Amino acid sequence: MKMRILLILALLLTTGTAAIAHAQDPVVVEIYFPIAVDSPITETLEGYAATFEEANPGVDIVFSYEGGYSDVKNKLLTTMEGGGDLPALGIMLATDIYDLRNAEAIVPWDAYISDDYLADFFPTWLENSYYDYDLDGTAEFYGIPFQRSTVLLYYNKTMLEENGFAAPTNWEELATTAQALTTADRWGILNPNSWPYWVFQPFAIGAGQNIVSESDSEVFFDAPEVVEALQFWVDLYEVYGATPAGVQSNWGDAPGLFADGAAAMILHSTGSLPSILAKADFEVGVMAVPGKEGGYATVSGGGNLYLVAGTDDATAEAAWNFVQWLTSPEMAVDWSINSGYITTRQSGLELDTWTAYVAENPQAADAVAALEYTGREFSVQQLNDVRNILHSYILSVLNGEATPAEALAAAQAEAAAILSIYVME
Amino acid sequence: MNETQSFKRQTPAEWLVTGITVLLAVLWAVPIIWAVIVSFRPPDDDLGVDDVWFGNTVTLASYQKATDLAPFFPDWVGADAEGFPGHSYYANTLEWVLLALVVQVITVTLAGFVFAHFDFVGKRFLFYFVLMQMMIPTAVLLVPNFITIREFSTATLGIPKFIYYKEVSLYDTPWAIAMPYFGSAFGTFLMRQAFLSVPKDLVEAGVMDGCRWYHLLLNVYLPPSYPSLVAFGLVSVSFHWNELLWPLVVTSDKARPLTMGLLRFTQLTDIGAQWSLVMAATMIIVAPLLLAFLFFQRQFINSFLYSGVK
Amino acid sequence: MMTANTFDLHTYWTRHLRPRLKPLPYLLLLPTVYFVYLFTIMPTFKVLRDSQTYYHPNRPAREIMSDLSLPGIEEAKRSIRGPHDVGFAYFRAMFDPDTVEGERFFRAMRNTIIYVVTTVPISMLLAFTFAVLVNRRLRWIGSARIAFFYPTMLPMVSAATIWLFFFTPEYGLWNAALRWFGYHGAENWVINPDLALVGLIIVAIWKNAGYFMIFYLAGLQNLPEDVYEAAALDGASWWVQMFRITLPLLRRTTLFVSVVAIISAFQTIDHALVMTYELVTGEADLLLYEIYNQRFILQNYGFANALTVVMIAILLGLTIINFLISERENE
Repeated sequence: MKMRILLILALLLTTGTAAIAHAQDPVVVEIYFPIAVDSPITETLEGYAATFEEANPGVDIVFSYEGGYSDVKNKLLTTMEGGGDLPALGIMLATDIYDLRNAEAIVPWDAYISDDYLADFFPTWLENSYYDYDLDGTAEFYGIPFQRSTVLLYYNKTMLEENGFAAPTNWEELATTAQALTTADRWGILNPNSWPYWVFQPFAIGAGQNIVSESDSEVFFDAPEVVEALQFWVDLYEVYGATPAGVQSNWGDAPGLFADGAAAMILHSTGSLPSILAKADFEVGVMAVPGKEGGYATVSGGGNLYLVAGTDDATAEAAWNFVQWLTSPEMAVDWSINSGYITTRQSGLELDTWTAYVAENPQAADAVAALEYTGREFSVQQLNDVRNILHSYILSVLNGEATPAEALAAAQAEAAAILSIYVME
Repeated sequence: MNETQSFKRQTPAEWLVTGITVLLAVLWAVPIIWAVIVSFRPPDDDLGVDDVWFGNTVTLASYQKATDLAPFFPDWVGADAEGFPGHSYYANTLEWVLLALVVQVITVTLAGFVFAHFDFVGKRFLFYFVLMQMMIPTAVLLVPNFITIREFSTATLGIPKFIYYKEVSLYDTPWAIAMPYFGSAFGTFLMRQAFLSVPKDLVEAGVMDGCRWYHLLLNVYLPPSYPSLVAFGLVSVSFHWNELLWPLVVTSDKARPLTMGLLRFTQLTDIGAQWSLVMAATMIIVAPLLLAFLFFQRQFINSFLYSGVK
Repeated sequence: MMTANTFDLHTYWTRHLRPRLKPLPYLLLLPTVYFVYLFTIMPTFKVLRDSQTYYHPNRPAREIMSDLSLPGIEEAKRSIRGPHDVGFAYFRAMFDPDTVEGERFFRAMRNTIIYVVTTVPISMLLAFTFAVLVNRRLRWIGSARIAFFYPTMLPMVSAATIWLFFFTPEYGLWNAALRWFGYHGAENWVINPDLALVGLIIVAIWKNAGYFMIFYLAGLQNLPEDVYEAAALDGASWWVQMFRITLPLLRRTTLFVSVVAIISAFQTIDHALVMTYELVTGEADLLLYEIYNQRFILQNYGFANALTVVMIAILLGLTIINFLISERENE
């Protein structure tokens, strides 16, 4: 009896697992895709897959939707380690390039891309695409820009005009406008604190110093300009009372509050533009963040298309064909119109579909205009650790536990200690 | 003794206690009441100050949208969510929960029977050996157990390599989630206690009649012990239904259970918080257990009382 | 003397050992023992071994002069990715607050201790209160019992999801309630590093109080009625009865519930995966969360294994303490 049970157990085990393996006739290109819960994006993507499959018989495009960007990355790494079925492509944060390459999760695109192909992308999208892993002096190309965004300042144009304000052009105007528009049930401005570095970078750049350079192991957390930027954040509630004090604003809540008129201005991703436009019953203005003494600044963000390591040649070839088609100027514009992300190809701006769209939606043109002021997004080796340090100290300043200068000096010291092993002489 | 008192015949002090009870009960119930109400608002409704309860309309749109976005139900139910063909969160959860339950019922019955009925060399040692599983919960060992699942092979099953060897990737299968729970110290302990309270004369009469061990188990020991087995089953199912961390580590697409499906809804990124949609997803995953609990309150509470032996 | 010598191995074997060495019980026990071995015993030894290996698969395979930032390791030219055998360096690092590992370990331990010493007594106190409140023969009292117990049936991930809303600044109901009581402090109980741990504690208390209630309820219902009748005759007030009779009689229940509560506090982090994942920078990390984070997010394999070893040691220590206390109670 005992043996019989064991035999049955063993049998169940083998049949259960054997059922997983299945033959695949067409070339299947699976793509891990990060997706926020609600967006029409899935329908758009399924449409793309169908269109491409029709033109390319024998190729099956399968989108696998995940939660956020970090879910996609963690899932790819765990699946790779666990020995599960891997996708051919993943859309992951541009900034995760070092982690992904170091973990041997992605391979370069160099065999496929050409200079002509890359030349048409907005240069700012390519700032986190190269990595010289083997230190031979030539950086390989890993991330093809796809779902790209920037930080934008959204402002309630109707409300500003009714109160006699124009769009702010420097920090002083930003603060006083926000202050004047703050009432008992409305904030002048919201800087979401859920993921602070990204919203903070435009202020640092606007003061004259980005927190990162081109290098993978250098940060500038304690530069005087960066300290000034953080001080300005504090001033926004301490001096002007124009934003909630301390750590308060959620990333997810800000667009709703703005659309409901409970915030006059917010800092948010380009990706929120369609949902905000759909809900707001006033005129929405978007622009890059005003610089300290004038000028504008913002920072790039969003995800690139990565080729997953271990993809066989035939699948990689099919994946590349799909990527090439997906990132063509026509498709990039279509994607931008459907998703709200910014088109990746410069020549796309001359297409009729785009000019017609912009005539209806002037905000989209303003979002593209912000690209001119875009700095490199925060990405270094061991990004999780270094970013946590910066976040931790920024939040401690907002909580009133340290001054910006003290906190950022400590952040710099800790980050430099971690990054020291990556500094190559 | 068993009379229920009506409200009207209470003293003022009793009224005060009743008042406190009602107040606390309402406070404790607010989260689920809120979740139910909000799940019936339209999915893109923004909540705001003074607008967190009822919306303008009562609609199933959030449920519709949640099932469209994520494969909660199998295809034949009619939801058209994108997912792996033939896999849905509900089916996955049921699959692994039942797999764990069926194997557990067999293993704990046998083990409980052995510890209650037989006298053998090393009994005490083996009993403590099994009890170790209660002291070091599986959740804590997620790192090494992940590797065991990843490197699972015929050798892990005890088949010598020179006879047959095959690597069996359990990753992303119901087996991966269920297997660490196949042996249950809690269940073994519970069944042993139940079997020990079976009158000795009954057992001896059975032995006299020349019963084989399985006759003894099935006809003498088990019948009076069914309540314990049912209690164990209820606890096992409710515990596994709610499990998140371990499935998160060992599954990716095909075997992903309900709890992981909900986790995906909470990772809001670019787009604003959509509470009605998230609450609809929450209700979809909690409804079966919650309804079962409302109907079989007493059985659940009694079973959970047993679960304390853990 | 002769009788003592007649004890020989042969009779011991035939009379005592052989009848107790029949294969059947071992065979029936095999599945349980096998799975306990495979998923509890073997992994425990495996983490002990693996905690001695430095391995960071998300670092480049580059050789530089390095002491791997671990105490007691000689500087040498070696790969910063690993794997390297580092002996017990991770355990030394854990108790050296100057290392990254030490800082993380102290923070996780501090949080875990705060979490345990707040959630356990508060939820037990509430559980006892609830049990007393619903232990009355009153119509509709069953609904109150349902209201207190239902959170036990919810998955932690759903409970945390619902509370995510309650903790929202401005319009979240928790904050609305606090404001009504005159609270004007920080409101973001999810992303504010100073509040995130409190947020986790609140959810855990709300979820567990009803579960612990049923043990007190069972205890209350088994109390001998005659003792109360005698006390009532002596004119003992409700309070005196509560503190002099009920609580002492429920001492074993309290001990038992506290063990269940402490052990479950150590192994539940599902709410942290919903509420603090990626949003809080580590200020609210509990020990098990730190293990998950180090292994699967930050990919510091050796440290994750070393943390697991500590976790096992703590749990075994608690089991021993519990065993000693119940032995003393039984005397």
